[in-house]
Amino acid sequence: MKTDAEPGMDAPCLPELGHKIPAREFGPFDRRALERYAIASGDDNPLHLDPEVAAALGLPDTPVHGLLMLSCFEPYILEWRPDLFIARLSCKFLNPLFAGEGIRLSGRVVSRKDTPRPELILRLFARGSGDTPVIVAEAAVLWQSTGAES
Amino acid sequence: MTGAAEHAQQGPAGPNEKGTDNAPVRLPPFKVRIEPADVAEFLRATSGHPKHHRVPITFPVRWLALPEVRGLILRSIGNGFIPVHEGQNFAYERALQIGADYTVDIEAFRTPAPPHLTLRMSVVTEEGEICARLETVMRIVPALKPA
Repeated sequence: MKTDAEPGMDAPCLPELGHKIPAREFGPFDRRALERYAIASGDDNPLHLDPEVAAALGLPDTPVHGLLMLSCFEPYILEWRPDLFIARLSCKFLNPLFAGEGIRLSGRVVSRKDTPRPELILRLFARGSGDTPVIVAEAAVLWQSTGAES
Repeated sequence: MTGAAEHAQQGPAGPNEKGTDNAPVRLPPFKVRIEPADVAEFLRATSGHPKHHRVPITFPVRWLALPEVRGLILRSIGNGFIPVHEGQNFAYERALQIGADYTVDIEAFRTPAPPHLTLRMSVVTEEGEICARLETVMRIVPALKPA
């Protein structure tokens, strides 16, 4: 792992175990947002873009791309702590979210290590309307110097 | 994901339900360049923060939509089935850089009961240093017909 944080550096002020990251909402993801993501990502699966295709599969509307929602975790984490490097992000998609809906991200610190380099494990959730769990995720984040500490 | 559903009828065979899955299939490594305009477009589409000037960690999923990768997915899924994205993992050794060239290596393998297709991607610098590894897990389900 190449970050600016090397063993022996002074540990930054990282949050304690159990610390909750302030929740934040993303979306709603309307059809235009899904089209924009389809172009940007190349994932032009009509399941996400065409209500008739979604209906043929028994869905009430087009589901939001899972990776579009997963992409929200990076700005969520980095707006909370810009001095972190996301070394790992893994997730399971639990339930679909449909066009026009948004998600609420939340998270907490479930593990903290100060050596050999400062690292946190974050448990993350995306929930849809009615508090429906949409994504459960885990991130390993490393502290890296932003140059603003000294 | 990856636009496979619309082509699900074209594949040669469905998931192997007898538990004798295919061996991993590896594509020849291919080169990619991270263009600034592509990053900017991706950031706009994903609620990213353009002022960070960094490559989003989910950006490599773009390469799953390249024709050779899409073809591999479609062949692996088979006729009359669609992929449902079930899980995703990104692991970074170092951040990807805007404007840099990388080599991408992808392999796919199926597992039975229930049938899944897993894609594994590695992203390597021109100097051969590993930057990122991705794993995409898709459940393979029958494509329902309209009533």
